[in-house]
This record gives sequence, structure tokens and C-alpha cells, in this order.
Amino acid sequence: MTDAERAAFLEQLRAQVGKASQPELARDPVNQPMIRHWCDAMEDQNPVYTDAPFAAQSIHRTLVAPPAMLHAWMMPGNISRQVRQRGKSVLSRLNAAGYTSVVATNSEQEYLRYLKPGDVLTGVESLTGVSEEKHTTLGAGHFVTMRTEYRDQTGAAVGHMQLRLLKFKPGTGSSANAEGAEAAKGPRPVRPRPGISRDTQFFWDGFKVGELRIQRCNTCRTLHHPPMVRCPACGGYDFGYQVSSGKGTVYSFVEPCHPKVPAFDYPYVVGLVELEEGTRLITNIVDLDPERVAIGMRVEVVFQKPDPDLILPMFRPQRPPHRQTTLSFDAVAVGDELPPCPIPVTTRLIVAGAIASRDYQDVHHDREAAVERGLPDIFMNIFTTGGLCGRYLSDWAGPEALMRSLTMRLGVPNFPHDTMTLAGAVRSKSVHDGRGLIEVGLRGYNRRGDHVTGTAGLELPRQGEAVR
Amino acid sequence: MKKSFAGQIAIVGIGATEFSKCSGRSTLRLAVECSDAAIRDAGLAPEHIDGAVLFAHEENPEIEVARNLGIKALTHFSCIPHGGGAACGTIHQAALAVHSGAAKCVLVYRAFNERSGFRFGAGVQDRMPGPTPVEVDFGWSSPFGLLTPAQWVAMFARRYMYEYDATSEDFGRVAVVCRKHAATNPRAFFYQRPITLDDHQKSRWIVKPLHLLDCCQESDGGQALIVTTLERARDLRQPPAVIASAVQGSSEDQQMMKSYYRRQISGIPEMGLCARQLWEDTGLGPQDMQTAILYDHFTPLILPQLEEFGFCRRGEAKEFIKDGNIELGGKLPVNPHGGQIGEAYIHGMNGIAEGVRQVRGTSVNQVSNVENVLVTAGTAVPTSALILSRDRR
Repeated sequence: MTDAERAAFLEQLRAQVGKASQPELARDPVNQPMIRHWCDAMEDQNPVYTDAPFAAQSIHRTLVAPPAMLHAWMMPGNISRQVRQRGKSVLSRLNAAGYTSVVATNSEQEYLRYLKPGDVLTGVESLTGVSEEKHTTLGAGHFVTMRTEYRDQTGAAVGHMQLRLLKFKPGTGSSANAEGAEAAKGPRPVRPRPGISRDTQFFWDGFKVGELRIQRCNTCRTLHHPPMVRCPACGGYDFGYQVSSGKGTVYSFVEPCHPKVPAFDYPYVVGLVELEEGTRLITNIVDLDPERVAIGMRVEVVFQKPDPDLILPMFRPQRPPHRQTTLSFDAVAVGDELPPCPIPVTTRLIVAGAIASRDYQDVHHDREAAVERGLPDIFMNIFTTGGLCGRYLSDWAGPEALMRSLTMRLGVPNFPHDTMTLAGAVRSKSVHDGRGLIEVGLRGYNRRGDHVTGTAGLELPRQGEAVR
Repeated sequence: MKKSFAGQIAIVGIGATEFSKCSGRSTLRLAVECSDAAIRDAGLAPEHIDGAVLFAHEENPEIEVARNLGIKALTHFSCIPHGGGAACGTIHQAALAVHSGAAKCVLVYRAFNERSGFRFGAGVQDRMPGPTPVEVDFGWSSPFGLLTPAQWVAMFARRYMYEYDATSEDFGRVAVVCRKHAATNPRAFFYQRPITLDDHQKSRWIVKPLHLLDCCQESDGGQALIVTTLERARDLRQPPAVIASAVQGSSEDQQMMKSYYRRQISGIPEMGLCARQLWEDTGLGPQDMQTAILYDHFTPLILPQLEEFGFCRRGEAKEFIKDGNIELGGKLPVNPHGGQIGEAYIHGMNGIAEGVRQVRGTSVNQVSNVENVLVTAGTAVPTSALILSRDRR
């Protein structure tokens, strides 16, 4: 395209900006099967979504849908791909011009009320902006921003979403090349191998079957690590082992900086973990920003393969407990940090999340299609990211905390075989109309960098009151 | 029970090469030069030497040194394990040998090109594992990237910080004092180069929580000492530095640099064991030490050393240091030569030499009225310590 052609093309696209589509009716009413499906995919255990007796006693008085599902009710599904008038026609023009790949980059959702089974949504979509062509790591493309207003069967507004997409030309970005360049450097040096003797073989053998083994004296049952050949407690020579629960706390830790050793990715943390059985071991603390590692932090084992033929027990933060009672507004202070929550990014999570949000874009379930579009693998869609943020927040704040808004900006993708760690902190607190509102800053990072940064608005019950 | 050699044996000669980042000559040459200097300092000749004591990782065998010096016969030779923890252990061993009659006059030395040649500080990244106990021991840490002495020590330091609310600045004050002392010692690496706490805080991370200026610098050089009976020492050229006592210590569940499995890791039990032995053996206490040479390969473990020897209570070393007590003129000047952080890192042997100078009254940073000097050896390993005293005849 010449510059003039490019300008004309952009003008065509922008002609649609500001105009609203015809109201579109959701294909299904808000319903329990889809909610359950979503909660299963996200491992969201908040009982207000799935436990009818609990929900009946809750502030909702009935089952409700996870708020982050808002747009899932409007998704077109796998068969119906009618082109909606405003935003969608822009997308088809971009498709025709070769910008065939799409990723969501930003989403802002506001939830005016929780949806209940039986609610029937109508969406009105408008195009709010189209950027000039930008050169991103994924490829050359245009950012397209659309806003959808959702109303219920009575015509009352229930929420809205602004979604920003990047429509790009596959194969024009640097990310695929970067992966290739990494591979071209050749095999990297491996980590130092462990020295293994007949006395310690059982420990290393355990990893092959997913066990973290602690030597146990068969005479006096005392546990030892590193292993002994004679029990200093009772003098026995007869040893077995006990399989550790894999849970423990960080007793001490360091972050090596210099000299750099090529077998290791920097930064990394070496931790001294005290297992709940009482013995300690040296390990790596993974899936956590090194700055966040702290003595006393609860961690759990995860067996990792840093090299093809080496399995090591490493530790990541334990998934924070799912809170059973709701945190009160008064118990929260600005600056409070939410406990970090590692979420293994599996193919299953990516696919289940895509389907639960009725997002049939091939890049979320079809590896070959993703590779064809210049990506190393399938990747998580933005609605799954939103669902996981919702789960993280309600695990922290409790079942009756209300999510009022969720704003997300996506960075690096969540590919399989990685772990996204969600972290957050309370940024502000305010009372409006007697409601206790807090804003939580969110960050989800994987080993490539920040996958998501964002904020969520929550309403928490004030002392002695239920949330309205 | 008092050790039979206590107060009966003395260090009578000290000799060193220059300390540098690149000696420009072989380690054997350094070993021979410093030994030669120590023998001359004592007013002896090589044929008077009949014993030699070394410690682990010394690459110059005593027989090579003896051959070059022209030593005629050796009736005692031994080598202490565990690196820097053995520094004062060599004197302990030499004193035992002399007192028993196994040898009359023992040479102790340490010589290396640790900066320009083999660098211990680089750690163990290239080791090939085997089924030996040493390799099995490394196997618990190396695959996880815990590879260097700085990293091993930092693990203790982090826990100490947590238990006693110590900070990186508390460690930094140790470096500032050592560098201040080194700044007036012409033999020191860091002569005329003092640092501020701000310099310490701004120096790059080696391993969090340790900055570059928490670490001593790999050095080239050699240091030798001569040990004989006090009786004979009195006839030699220099005033004797009497070995009031010298001890070794290794405590329960001790491991090499990584005794991380003990109930507590914020103290140094083997140093406590040395302290108890020294106080019992000499009848002296912390109040009787005019100065101390504490092993400072890394700053953090200076703090629990002060505590283990009773110069302050547990957890209070940071206040003791902050109050200026370890500076020249303070209650307990520490490392007047600049320590290994300021003078040079000769695995503790240059510290023993400084102890001898303090007793002789010849240090460039002489502490006044020195009667007794405490000298310690490496921390985080099986260790040793000694007290040198003036001849009270």
C-alpha cells in the first residue's frame, strides 16, 4: 500500500467510529450450566455461583454468575458468525486486508449488578477507535477499540465493556524470530548435576514418581535431611523414607547476582525451605517475583525439569486459601498486599477457559493454527485472564465481596508450560453512599514478563453490615 | 582443663610477600619468599626449621618449600582440613607439635595467586559429580545454583537479619571500619581508599543480601609464621607473641559452609565452642582483649562472632558496631590492619601476623597497651581461634 492508500483505508475504517450497532440479543439466558462450566475452567470455588443453599442465604438471595462472564453471554459461539454492523464490519475489512490475526490487549468491564440465572442480555456495540498501523512484536496491525453496553430483559443497564483488540498480519512480527534466535544459540549449559551415592539414591529416585522423600530412621522414626548412614538419635542403621506433604515455609533465601552462570536464568532465588515435617532443604523458589520472597512464606513443592534429564524439587507459593467468610471493609488497609497465587498455565486451562467464555478463536485451542500465525503455541484468551482475576479476588476477599469493575491490560501471552502468578495490593479505600469500596491493583506475571496488569473495584461489607 | 601447651609456645617470626591482584610469579615462589622472610624475621636460619603445618587448598607442598629453602630435615608435617577455618588451627597444630617434641621449630604458610590464578570465589559450578561424600554434599545445593562462598554465607546472613532486625547497613558498617583501618596501612590493598556507608549501599549486588563491599577481595600473596617454644623465643630477635591458647571447633550437625539444618542458623556454634575453650584455657574474658582480629571474608558473620565471644549479647552486635566500639579508639578495635576486606584475603594468615604485630607493638595502627589479642579463623566451616599475649615474664 502507498501512503495515500493507507490513509484512505484508515479513513474507511474510522468512518464507523461512534455509531452504535442494532441491539443484539444473547443466544442463551444466563444459566447454571454455563456458570458451572466457567467455574470448573477457572477453578473458582466461590459458592455464590454454584451452591444454591449457600447462595440463597447470601446477599444475592440466589445463585449468581461470575461478573467476569459478562461478555461470555454475548459471544457468537462456534457456528453463528454473523458479522455485526459496526465493530465487526471493521474486523472483516481488516481480515480482507490481510490483518487476519487477532489478540485482545485491553479490557475494561464495569458491573452494575450481578447477573442471575434467567436474565436475558441485550448488547449494543459501538466502535470507539481504530489506530494507525503499528508495528508490534506480534506483527503490523491496527488496534481496534469497541464498547458494548449490556441491558437486561427490563431494559436496565447491567454493565459495559470496552475491549481493545490488535488485528495484525501474521508473520510480520519479531516474536517468532526471537524464539528462533534463542534456539539458534544452541543448547545451553546444563545445571551442575547432583552427586548421588547409594545412601542418597532414594531421594533422587523419588522425583521420577513425584515424591519428595525424607529419610526416616526405621528404629526411632526420626527424620533426617540430608540423609544419614547412622541415626544420630538412636544409633540405628536401618532407614526408610517418608513422603513429604511438599508443603513448608521459607526459612531463608538468597538471590545470586554475580558471577553469572550460563545454566541459570536470572533472576533466580535459592531458598532454604523448612518442610512441615520439620526438615529443611535447599531449593529454588519459583513462580514468584524475587522481591516478594519472604521468610515465613508458605510454599509447596513443584517438580521441574530445568534440563531434559534433571528433575528438581522447587517451591512456589501455596495457592492462598479460599476465604470462607467475607473480609470486612474495615479490616482492609491501603497498601495491604494480597498473597501471591501461582496458576499453572496448562493447555487444559487455556482451552477450557476459551470454551467456557465461548471464544472459538483457533489460537486458543489449535496449536498448528497458532504457529501458522507466528506464535509459538496456543495462548490464553483475555476472558480467561479475567475469570482468573475474579477467582483470585474472591478467594482473597470472600464469597460475598462484590466485584464492581475489572480493568486489564495484557502484555506477554500466557503460553502452556508456564505459570502465571497473580499478585495484588489495595490501592485505595473509600465510602460512597454508605458502601465500602476498595480498588485493588493486580499484576499477573509469567517467566516472560507481565501478562496482565490492571485494577479491580470491589465492594466489601462494612463492620456489622452485609453488602447491599 | 588447661591445654598443656597454653602459654608455653610463641610465634617468633612473621613474613609476607606484598599483597596484590597479580603477583606476577608462581605460588611456589610466593610460598618460599614469605617463608624465607619469616625465618629471617625470627632471626633463624632454614636449618632450624624441622616442622611444617599447612591447611586445605594449599597448593605448595611443604617438601617443595623445604627443598627451596634448604631445610635439612622435617620431623613433623601436617595439613588441616576445611579452608579458612583452619587458619588458627595451624598454630594450634604447630604448638602441639612443638610442645610434644615432635618438632622444635615449625613453619606455617599460605601462598596463592587467588586473584590472578585459581579463584576460589568462583565456586563450584564446573564440578563433575561423583558418589563421594563431598560431591553428595555439593549435590544438595549446586543444582539449585547455590554455588559460591558468598552465596553460602548470604543464606546465614538473611536469617540473621530476620531474627535480629539487622540490615544491610549493619553489615556495611563492618566494611566501612575495615576499609578505614586499611586506609592507613601501606601494605593494604585499600591503602588510602576508605569507603562510606553510602558507597557500600550503592555497590552492586553480589548475592542479595550481600553487596560487593560486603565481600573481601581475592588476593595474590603469601604469609608465613614461625612457631617455637617460649623458652627459645626469648633468645630470638623479636619479642615473642605468646600463644596463650589456640583451639579448634566443630559443632553438632556441622557441614562445610552450609550447616543449614541446625535448629538455629543465626549463630556460629563452632565459634562459640572456640570461645568457651579459650576463656576456660586462659582464664581471660572478653574484657581482657584490647583488640580482635576477626575473620572477615564477608561482613555479616562478624556480627555473630562478636556475640559468640561475649563482646555483646546475642542480637546486639549491630548496636555494638553502630556505637563505634570496633573502631580504633573504641572498646574493641577490630582488624586494625584492615582485615581481609581491607588489607588482603590470605585466608586468615595475615590476621594472625597482625595479632603478632599488635603484641610486639609494631602495627601501623597500633592499639595502645595491648596485652592480649583474639584472632579467629573462617566462619561457616569447622573453625579455630587463638589468643596471643605479651610475654609476662
